[in-house]
Amino acid sequence: MKQYSDLEYLKLSKWHRFILKIANFFLGIPMWFAHLGIKIWTYIKKFGIAVKDTFVDIYETFQNGDYKTRISFFIMGFGSLARGQILRGILFLLFELVFIFYMIFAGAHWLSLLPSLGKEGPELNSHYDPNLDAYVTVYHDNSFKILLYGVLTIFFIIALIYTWRLNIKQNKISQQILASGKPLKRTKDDLRSLVDEQFHKTLLALPTLGIFMFTVLPMVFMILVAFTNYDGAHNGFSNSLFHWVGLDNFKTMLTWTSGGNSYSAAFGEILVWTLIWAFFATFTNYFLGMFVAMMINKKGIRLKKMWRMILILTIAIPQFISLLYVSKMFAVNGIINGTLMKWGWIQEPLPFWTNPTWARVTVIIINIWIGIPYLMLITTGILMNIPADLLESAKIDGANAFQQYTKITLPYMLFITGPYLLTSFTANMNNFNVIYLLTAGGPANSAASSAAGSVGFTDLLITWLFKITTGAESQYYMASIIGILVFVVVALISLIVYSVLPSVKNEEDFQ
Amino acid sequence: MREKTKDLNHSSMKRHIGIKAQTHISNTAIYVILVVMSIVWLLPFVFIVLQSFRVESTYPVGYVVPQKWGLDNYINLGKTDFWHWYLNTFIAALATAVLQTVIVLCMSYTLSRFRFNGRKALMKFILILGMFPGMLTMIILYRVLADLGLTQQNALPGLILVYVASSGMGYYVSKGFFDTIPKSLDEAARIDGATRAQVLYKIILPLAKPIVIYTILTAFMAPWGDFVFARYVAMGTPSGYNVAVGLYSWLTIDQINSRYTMFCAGGVCVAVPVAILFMCLQKYYVSGVTGGAVKG
Amino acid sequence: MASVKLTNVKKIYDKNVVAVHDFNLEIQDKEFVVFVGPSGCGKSTTLRMIAGLEEISEGTVEIDGEVVNDLQPKDRDIAMVFQNYALYPHMTVYDNIAFSLRLKKVKEDIIYDKVTKAAEILGITDYLLRKPKALSGGQRQRVAIGRAMVRDSKVFLMDEPLSNLDAKLRNQMRAEIIQLRQKIDTTFIYVTHDQTEAMTLGDRIVIMKDGYIQQVGTPVEVFEMPSNLFVAEFIGAPKMNTMKTQLINEGEKYYVTPFGAKIPVDGEKAKMLKEKGIGTQEIYLGVRPEHIVMVPEKSESTIDCTLVVNEMMGSELHLHVNTEDGTPLVVRVPTMNLSAEERDSLHAGSTLHFTFEGKVMHFFDAESEVNLLVDGPAAPTESDESAETAEPTETVEPTEPTAE
Repeated sequence: MKQYSDLEYLKLSKWHRFILKIANFFLGIPMWFAHLGIKIWTYIKKFGIAVKDTFVDIYETFQNGDYKTRISFFIMGFGSLARGQILRGILFLLFELVFIFYMIFAGAHWLSLLPSLGKEGPELNSHYDPNLDAYVTVYHDNSFKILLYGVLTIFFIIALIYTWRLNIKQNKISQQILASGKPLKRTKDDLRSLVDEQFHKTLLALPTLGIFMFTVLPMVFMILVAFTNYDGAHNGFSNSLFHWVGLDNFKTMLTWTSGGNSYSAAFGEILVWTLIWAFFATFTNYFLGMFVAMMINKKGIRLKKMWRMILILTIAIPQFISLLYVSKMFAVNGIINGTLMKWGWIQEPLPFWTNPTWARVTVIIINIWIGIPYLMLITTGILMNIPADLLESAKIDGANAFQQYTKITLPYMLFITGPYLLTSFTANMNNFNVIYLLTAGGPANSAASSAAGSVGFTDLLITWLFKITTGAESQYYMASIIGILVFVVVALISLIVYSVLPSVKNEEDFQ
Repeated sequence: MREKTKDLNHSSMKRHIGIKAQTHISNTAIYVILVVMSIVWLLPFVFIVLQSFRVESTYPVGYVVPQKWGLDNYINLGKTDFWHWYLNTFIAALATAVLQTVIVLCMSYTLSRFRFNGRKALMKFILILGMFPGMLTMIILYRVLADLGLTQQNALPGLILVYVASSGMGYYVSKGFFDTIPKSLDEAARIDGATRAQVLYKIILPLAKPIVIYTILTAFMAPWGDFVFARYVAMGTPSGYNVAVGLYSWLTIDQINSRYTMFCAGGVCVAVPVAILFMCLQKYYVSGVTGGAVKG
Repeated sequence: MASVKLTNVKKIYDKNVVAVHDFNLEIQDKEFVVFVGPSGCGKSTTLRMIAGLEEISEGTVEIDGEVVNDLQPKDRDIAMVFQNYALYPHMTVYDNIAFSLRLKKVKEDIIYDKVTKAAEILGITDYLLRKPKALSGGQRQRVAIGRAMVRDSKVFLMDEPLSNLDAKLRNQMRAEIIQLRQKIDTTFIYVTHDQTEAMTLGDRIVIMKDGYIQQVGTPVEVFEMPSNLFVAEFIGAPKMNTMKTQLINEGEKYYVTPFGAKIPVDGEKAKMLKEKGIGTQEIYLGVRPEHIVMVPEKSESTIDCTLVVNEMMGSELHLHVNTEDGTPLVVRVPTMNLSAEERDSLHAGSTLHFTFEGKVMHFFDAESEVNLLVDGPAAPTESDESAETAEPTETVEPTEPTAE
C-alpha cells in the first residue's frame, strides 16, 4: 500500500480518498487485533510480575518481621493489636474467626458438594414416618443452594486471601513507620479518616456491596448455570437434582442443524431481527428526534415551549400504560381498524399484529412515537450549544440550509452524541418493555419454535430469554446461554465502536 | 435583518423578498407538521381518558367517543385490588426514590471526586457488568427472595431491595453532573478546613440540587413502569402486584372483555399524578437527560 | 508566619510521568516567592503539593520546621487563592469569607469583626450580601483573597490569581497585591506564567521549566545574570536576542563576532571572562533589545540589517529587523533620543547599522546553554532524564477512558 504524504493526499480525487479510507479501515483491523494481542500479553506479563512481587514481598516481610509480624501470618490482626491499633486488629481477627466458623459449619460442606452439585436427590414418593405419624418427603441435597453457597464460599475464600495479604502489608508498613520513629495511626485517627481522606471507602461501601450481592454474585451463578442442566424438570430440590453438563448446552445452541426448529436456527433468526430492530430503533429516533428539535428550534417558530411540553407529556406517562393502550389500538378490533373500516378506507382489518412484516414495522413505528420526545430533549440541548459562529461562518461561506446541516450540524451532533448512540443501540437490543408490552413477541413463528420454546417474529433475544425462563419448561440453562451470547454481541459491538471509530471520529474534532 | 434591507439595492431587494416568502412557506410547513405531530402524540391519551368514561360496555370497541358517559369504571376500581396495587407501587416508588438517590449520589460523587486505587477498574467492571442482560439475574434473585420469604404477597420489600441494591451501577448521569462542578471548590473548602464529608454536604450537595431532583424523579418513576421483575416476584399472587402487573393482567384474554374500560380508568389514575409531578419537575429532568447524553 | 522548606520534592504521575524533579528550596518567613515558568513546567503542581492538594511522590515539605507530607490540607494552616477564584456559588460573599472560621467554630461576633475588617481592606464592604454570581471578575478575586486573609494562616498560596482578569484590571490588582502584602505580612508563594508579575511582585523568583528549577534569585539577579539561555529568553520583554557565534580571546581582550562583525566585550564582563580563564569558543550570545545600539556609520563592529516592522510603543520603538542572513533581531529604541528626521527614515526596507553594548552581553555555553559567568552546576535538561517529562502538568485530572 502506497503511503501518501499530507500534500499528496490533498491532491487525490474524492473517489480515490474514499477508496483509501476504506482500505485503511480494513488494513487497520488486523493491526487492531495485533495491538489487542500485545496489550493482553503485556497485561498477562504485568500480572505475572505482580504475583511474583507479591510472593517475594510476603516472604521478605516474614524474614524481616518481628515476632508481632510473624504471628500475624497465622493470627490476623495480632500485629495491629500488639501495636495498639485496636480497631484494625479487631476487624482482622474478627474476619478470620468468622471465616473459620463459616468454613467449619457451612462452607466446607457446600464446597465439597460443589463438584457434584448434590449426591442424593429428593425422594420421588413420600414415605411414612412413624415418629410423626405422617407421610413425609425427604429432599436431601439442594443443587441450587449448593451452587449458590458454593460460589459464595469461593468468594469468601478470595476475600480472606485478600484480607490476609492486607494484614501482612499492614504489618510491614507499621514496622517501617515505627522504625522511622513516627507514631502509628490510632483507632481515633482511623475513624476520623473515614469521613476525610478515606471518605470514599465510606461512600462506596454500601453501593458496591449492593452491586456485589445483587448483580455480581447472581451473574456468576447464572453464567455457571449455562454449564448445568438446571431447568424446570431439574430444579435441584423438589423433583430432581441438576448436574454439571460441561459444554453440552453450548453445543446445542451453536451447532447448526438444518430445519427451523433448532436452537441455532431460532437464535440466528432472532439475533438478526434484534440487530435490525436495534439499528432502526436507534437511528429513526435519532434523526427524527433531531429533525423535530430543529423544527421547534427554528427562528420564528412560536410557542416553542408548548410544542416541547406536548412531547414531554408522553415521557411523563408510565410507558406500560401508553404501550399497552397503543397495542390495543392497533389490534384487529382496535380503534385504528375500527375507524378505518367505518370510514370505508379498508374492508378487512389491517394485520398490524398478525402479519410478521406488519408487526415488525408497526413496533418500529410505535417506538418512534415513544422515542422522539427523548431524542428531541437530548438534541435540543446540544443543538443550542453548537457555536453560533460555526453556522454563521458556514452561511457566509455560502452553505445553504441543507449543507449547513450535513457539513456542520450533523458532524457536530455525531461527535457529541457518539457514545450516547452506542449505549442507545445496546439499550435497544435489550428493550424488553417496548416489545413485550406491544406484541409479547408475536406473531408466533412456528417454524422456529418447538425446541426453542414459543418464538415470535418480533421477539428480541431478551424477550426470548424471558420466555424461556418463564415458559413451561423453564430452561434456565438456555436462558443463561442466551444471556452470555447477548453479552458477547454487546461487548463486541462496543469494542469495535470504541476501538475502530475514534480514528474516524477524530477527523472532525470539534473540541 | 430589517434595518439592513434599506441599504440594499433593488435587485437584492427582490431576492430578499424571495427569502422572506420562502421562510414564510417553510414556517407554515413546520407549523402543519407540529400540529399533526401534537395530535398523533396526544390522541392515545385523549382516547384512553374518553374510554375510561365509557359505561355502555367494558370490552374494547372500534369507536372512541362513549355512547354513555359515567364514572362507573372509576367506582368499580374500588371493588378490585387496584388501590392495593396502587399503594404497593407508591410505597415502592417512595422507598426507591429515597434509597436509590442516596446510593447513586454516593457512588457518582466518589467516582467523580476521589482518585483511589482501583477506581478505573471499578468503572470498567461496572461497564462490562452492564453488558449482561440484567433479566438473567431475575431467576436466582427470585429464588433467594423466596427463601427469605420476600415474594408473592410479601413481594414489596423484596422488590424494593432489588430496585435499590444494584442502583449504584447507574451512576453515569450524576457523575457527569458532578464532573462539571469545578474541583477547585472542593480544594478551596478543604484548605478552608473542611473534611471530605463536610465538603460533600456543605459545598457539593447544595450545588447539586438539579441532579438530586433528577435522580429522585427518575427513581420515583421507575417502579410505576416496572413490569418484568414485579410480575416475576409476585408470581401470580394479586396482593403482591404493582399497578403495571395488575393492569396488564386485566388485558389478558380471559379478562380483557370485562376489564378493558377499567384498565383505562386505572391507567388514568396512575398517569395523572405521575405526569403532574413530572411536569412540575421537568426542568431538572431535561437538564439531567441532556447532560447524560453528552457525557455518554 | 512561617518558613517553608522543600527537600528533594518530586511529583510522579502514573509511575513514569515526572512533573516535578528534585525540587529544593527554602523560603524564609515573610518572604514573597514567585514560581514562574511556561505552562506545564510544574509550578502549579509544586504549589499544590505544598497545599496538600497533590500527593508528594518523593521528598519532604516542611512548614515551620514540621514535615507536612501526611497532613491534610486543612491541617497545614495555609490559605490559598485559586485561578478561577473557587468561590462557593451558593453562599453570599460574607458566608464565603466566614466559611473557614465557621468550620473552626469561631464565635459569630469574632467572625463578624474579622470578615468586615477584611472586606474593608479589600473594598468589598458593599457587596457582603451578594452572591458571587453578581460580582465582577475583580470583585470576585478580592473575595477570594479575603477568604484567604481571615484565616491568619502561616502561608499564603496564590495560584495564578490574576490570569482570569483583563490586562487593565490585572495591573491594578498587581499593585493591590503589593499593598496587601504589607498589610498581611506573612509568607507568600505565588504562581504565575507572566514574567512581569514575577518581576514586580517577588522578593525572589523561582524560574521553572519541564519540572526543573532553572534559577532562583531576586528579580535583579535573574535579569542581569540569567543562569542559562532559557531564563535569559524567558525574563524580559521583548525577549532577549540570542545567536550562535564565536567568542574570541586575544590576550586581555574579548570579542564576539555576530554576523561577520567584530564587537569588543567591555568592562565588568570582560574582566569576569578573564577571571574565569575562558578562551576562544563557540557560544550563544545574548543581547537584550535595549542593548542594541543604532549607529549612523557602518564600521567593523556594526551589523547591517533591513528593517521589517517598526512598532511604535509610545515612549519607545520596537524595531524588528533582519540581518543579512535573514536572522530576525528586535531592537528597542527610546523615542526621545530620535530626531524627527531619524524617525522618518525608519521605514520598512531601509538598511540600518547596529552594534551591541559591550558591557551587558550574556554568554552561554553552546552545548549546555549555561551562562559562562555563573558558577554552579548546569541546570539539567530533560534529555538527561530517562523518565518522560510530563507535558500537561497543569491538567491534574488524569484522562478518562473513552468508555465513560
